[in-house]
Amino acid sequence: MGAVAKNKNENNRENDSDRRRVIGKDNVAEAQSDEEVYPSGVTSHACSDSESDSDYLDSSEDGEFEGNQSPVDSGAEDSDSFDDEDDDKTGNDSGLSGDEQGNSDENKSSEQPQGGEESDSSEDEVAPRNTIGNVPLEWYKDEELIGYDITGKKLKKKERQDKLDAFLASADDSKNWRKIYDEYNDEEVELTKHEARLLKRLLKGKAPHVDFDPYAPYVDWFKWDDAIHPLSNAPEPKRRFTPSKWEAKKVAKLVRAIREGRIKFDKPKEESQVYDLWAGESSSPTKKSGHLAYIPAPKPKLPGLEESYNPPPEYIPTQEEINSYQLMNEEDCPKFIPRRYTSMRNIPAYDNAVKDTFERCLDLYLCPRVRKKRLNIDPESLKPKLPSRRDLKPYPITCYLEYKGHKGAVTSISTDTSGQWIASGSSDGTVRVWEVATCRCLRIWEIGEVVKHVAWNPLPELPILAIVVGADVLVLNTGLGSEEDQKQVEELLQVGAATSLDDKTLSVSWIQDDRYRYGAIKLQHFKTVSSVEWHRKGDYLSTVMPAGESKAIMIHQLSKRLTQRVPFKLHGLPVTSVFHPTRSIFFIATKKNVRVYDLLKQKLVKKLETGLREVSSIAIHPAGDNVIVGSKEGKLSWFDMDLSSQPFRTLTCHPKDITNVAFHRSYPLFASCSDDCTAYVFHGMVYSDLNQNPLIVPLEILRGHSSSNGRGILDCKFHPRQPWLFTAGADSLIKLYCH
Amino acid sequence: MPKHYRPPGKKKEGNAARYVTRSQATKMLQVNLPTFRRLCILKGVFPREPKKKVKGNHHTYYHLKDISFLHHEPILEKFREIRGYEKKIKKAEAKKNKDLANRLLSRKPGYTLDRLIRERYPMFVDALRDLDDCLTLVHLFAVLPASDRENIEVKRVHNCRRLSQEWQAYISRTHKLRKVFVSVKGIYYQAEVDGQKITWLTPHALQQVLPDDIDFSVMLTFLEFYETLLSFVNFRLYRSINVKYPPILDPRLEALAADLYALSRYLNRNSSAPMVESDDVGSSGSVQPEVKQNGQESEESELRLAQLQHQLPYNEPGALMHLVEEAANADEEDEDAKECKNLFADMKFFLSREVPRESLLFIIPAFGGIVSWEGDGAPFNESDQSITHQIVDRPKQDHIFLSREYLQPQWIFDCVNARLILPTEGYLVGRVPPPHLCPFVDDEAEGYVPEYADTIKRLQAAARNELLPMPGVGKEDLEDPQRLVVEGIIGRTEANEAAQKKQKLMALEKQYHDELKMELEGRVTNQGNETIAKDDEVRDGLNDPYLKQVLDDADSISKVVMSRKKRGLYEAMKKGKERKKASVNLLKERKRKLEAAGKSGKQRSCS
Repeated sequence: MGAVAKNKNENNRENDSDRRRVIGKDNVAEAQSDEEVYPSGVTSHACSDSESDSDYLDSSEDGEFEGNQSPVDSGAEDSDSFDDEDDDKTGNDSGLSGDEQGNSDENKSSEQPQGGEESDSSEDEVAPRNTIGNVPLEWYKDEELIGYDITGKKLKKKERQDKLDAFLASADDSKNWRKIYDEYNDEEVELTKHEARLLKRLLKGKAPHVDFDPYAPYVDWFKWDDAIHPLSNAPEPKRRFTPSKWEAKKVAKLVRAIREGRIKFDKPKEESQVYDLWAGESSSPTKKSGHLAYIPAPKPKLPGLEESYNPPPEYIPTQEEINSYQLMNEEDCPKFIPRRYTSMRNIPAYDNAVKDTFERCLDLYLCPRVRKKRLNIDPESLKPKLPSRRDLKPYPITCYLEYKGHKGAVTSISTDTSGQWIASGSSDGTVRVWEVATCRCLRIWEIGEVVKHVAWNPLPELPILAIVVGADVLVLNTGLGSEEDQKQVEELLQVGAATSLDDKTLSVSWIQDDRYRYGAIKLQHFKTVSSVEWHRKGDYLSTVMPAGESKAIMIHQLSKRLTQRVPFKLHGLPVTSVFHPTRSIFFIATKKNVRVYDLLKQKLVKKLETGLREVSSIAIHPAGDNVIVGSKEGKLSWFDMDLSSQPFRTLTCHPKDITNVAFHRSYPLFASCSDDCTAYVFHGMVYSDLNQNPLIVPLEILRGHSSSNGRGILDCKFHPRQPWLFTAGADSLIKLYCH
Repeated sequence: MPKHYRPPGKKKEGNAARYVTRSQATKMLQVNLPTFRRLCILKGVFPREPKKKVKGNHHTYYHLKDISFLHHEPILEKFREIRGYEKKIKKAEAKKNKDLANRLLSRKPGYTLDRLIRERYPMFVDALRDLDDCLTLVHLFAVLPASDRENIEVKRVHNCRRLSQEWQAYISRTHKLRKVFVSVKGIYYQAEVDGQKITWLTPHALQQVLPDDIDFSVMLTFLEFYETLLSFVNFRLYRSINVKYPPILDPRLEALAADLYALSRYLNRNSSAPMVESDDVGSSGSVQPEVKQNGQESEESELRLAQLQHQLPYNEPGALMHLVEEAANADEEDEDAKECKNLFADMKFFLSREVPRESLLFIIPAFGGIVSWEGDGAPFNESDQSITHQIVDRPKQDHIFLSREYLQPQWIFDCVNARLILPTEGYLVGRVPPPHLCPFVDDEAEGYVPEYADTIKRLQAAARNELLPMPGVGKEDLEDPQRLVVEGIIGRTEANEAAQKKQKLMALEKQYHDELKMELEGRVTNQGNETIAKDDEVRDGLNDPYLKQVLDDADSISKVVMSRKKRGLYEAMKKGKERKKASVNLLKERKRKLEAAGKSGKQRSCS
């Protein structure tokens, strides 16, 4: 009997009813008397009975399952009872009787409920074979066993049948549709015809048993008619026949409300409330509302021609253009793509009609409104009024002369104080001296290395050039000037052996260099020198070694052949250094700032904050109070040192690096040159009246140089007396611009 | 001490004291956000942009005065009352007290917006000025389907429809419509009422779809206000032409959905009642009140003139002249109206079934035409012999009356915009009509004149010459009156124009060369000349690199000294101009290509 119940898998677990339990106990008793194998199974079944199912279903299932039990268990345990299988089968399982293999015990137990109570069965009580309980079956998915039986023995999984075989078998088997695989016990169960019928009825929502009448007439057990005594002997309560006080109160309240007119029964009429709202409006504008100014919303934008349903054909973008819109930014992309309809009946409904209006509504109440003045002016009127350029003449305008001869980029030029000669250094390793008026190349020195910088001595009686070549500074006698001057120069450029020794501490040695004509002194530095600058008296010169750290800036005295480093702490990499044109003040330009030191007092006077990214050049106004600083971002800053340490004016003129800036010595002119092959000439008038700001007027853009290797004009210098400008280009030309 | 530190006793100052964020405002008013929104919409309160946003950039700021203005608003109290009342209803429903709930529901307290309208628009002109959005929204809702989900009631849709048609009837009746534009989005109308240009958009008469991502409550609040506003405006306008408002319509016509026609009939009947019933349709009945109005206006202006004359000192003839000019202007406007009224003066139109009837029924009478349509309730039917034009929008017309012209509806719109009876060849049935041009675009400012606009302009010029000969051309016309044929005039005007253009060009060129010479010699130019020279150079496409360089230099030199702000502005302006030019160039380029393609196509077809 236990084996039978096992087949019932999940259905079993759903059964619960007291009645059945009682019966189950009976069965237990019976089973115990029969065999010892089953009792624990019964108890486990009792536990598993958790939900109720209809009795009819149970009973019928019982009837069939008992016949339907698998041959495995019955065969194992009760193989001896094959003979008495059919004697007690009831009518309901007649269809299946052929393959019935129940043992006699089962038959007896099944007989009992069928005979006595008609609807219950014994198989309920039989324990399921697998005892793992209500756990997810996937826990056993990878195991070899499906669970344990009641005695704790492992239940092995059946051999997996080949799918193909299974399919073929099932295809052959006409009863295949009745077979259900019981996962819990790992076996196949076949439903009986009766069971299938029951299931069909259940699916239809009918009671499973045909005989059951859900609408049976109700039979009252209580007899109402012929009783002598009433059910209750209590007297009739008073509240049954007196009027309610609370009701009266409520009614009175309502009556009062109606009388007072709080409750009205006629519906209020809806009348249109339209009248002439602006009847006496003439008086109203004088009255001022005390509120803020009302800013009317801007009117919706009027449609353009492209919104026409039939715009001119040139307004329709081509297919390529429409495709290109998709590649565009969302902002650049046109909001509306014009389309053309050949007649009015073809115009479709506009999808965004509601949305557009809604967006307008949102704009009306959500957008902050500000009165904005729209500038409707000619952009030219924004340009500042500058004094006429004619009044500011003379200034260099056109290229007048070209000095040809260099084979590499001319890196630096310098004008003689007299204005008669200019010296130029080039990357082809030569230094040349030219006569200004005739373009004649007077002297050539082959240095052999790239000349970075040349500078004339400012004294007219000392025609000396300072030249920067790599780590050396050459002080070169040019051999120009009168004989007296020459004598003086030659004396000056004699270096004794003794002097060169004691400078070792500073790692600058003065060496007589006789390779060059007219004689020269070589000042050997320990790092590459970037620029050299003369003091106004012509005796001192300063050199800058950007990589020299604390000894980056040196001051050499020519007459005593002395070298000393500047006694100031340097902040950042020095770019250039300049002497003040009249006083003993020294400017050191680092990449960000320009520091001004007093050489006598040996202290910092001022720090000019350029605000530029990288300073490239600096020039001092001849009066000494104004400084211009050029930067590698193409900006030019004018500092008025009396005014503040911030730039007085910053001019953005060049798109590329400014390579050099220069002031004219006597005319109110300054210039900047840049790698974009242009030089700007400005009028920069400084007034002696301290209250008047300097006047800066851009005058001219000088062109003519061509770019080579990305570099344009490398240097510019004014003529000392004439309003002329020399420019040195990377295209190995020197040009003179005249007025 | 930090800069923003405020001692405990001291009041807040500046922007922090003057502006509040939206959430602060709702807290101050003790309302929830939807109510606040409603209140803002009804009162016309909008956020403002403080100079310094104290609470951060992502907030909406309202001025404190605006908020206190809302705080004193009686309608706020009304909203609270309604909210309380709704709670009562809810309570009754929750207690299953159906009687009470029904009774309460039927007696909901309402509120009126007339006071708000008066407050927002103290003058009638103010209301007219703000009518654009109102009309657009009302016209939109007039065609929307009523929807339970979005709370769009049938009643409101009908009301919108009624209001919009009343408005259209008024405009049509008083001939105040000026411009019409059929766009993809709908039909734009522009009318001029009391000197205010009012533009509105009506959607195409097709089924509208209600999108899901729209908060209809906002739109409905707007609509609530606009409905009230438009009804008051309509009342006043109807009153100004002596018609009772709200109009009582012929139920038969109303049932046939010919509301507009019913309305215009009503208007005609009422306003011409004191006068003689002159004709059957009654369009000419409108002449008299118009004249009357004109008379009144001119009288008024004279009176004003007289008044002002007293106030003015005697030695100021200039001011007086100005006044006279103004009066003349007023007359001119009247002329404009007259022109509009007589555009379709003796034409009779018949609309086929498929044309946009509502729109045309509105437009044609507004310009003095008589119109009928296919369908019940029409004043005359298709077989009427006096019909001059039949508006048809189908590929082919089968049955043709020879006495009338069969035209596409676009002809009407184009005629209206050009104020001219255009030649009908291009608009015949079955042809692709010429482009429909936008009347709101100023071609000169745009920099590009479409070809058809040019033709229309020439036709207009021709028509004007015919009516009143211009002083310059008139003499010649008088000399040989035979040449008063339209084409001749067109040709002459064209020639004149061309000659003028040429002269102008030559002058400019000369000026330019002078300028350049001056520049080369003296190198002196003032800013103005430079710009002219530059413009010229651009126009002529003269490509002397040196001169170009000189001009460029002058430009960049003056840019050097500009302050950063001004330079930015200057560059932005330049960029804007360039963009405009680029778009015009794009149009020209496309046109050129199209023409080239057309030519090659023709050649191919010939060969």
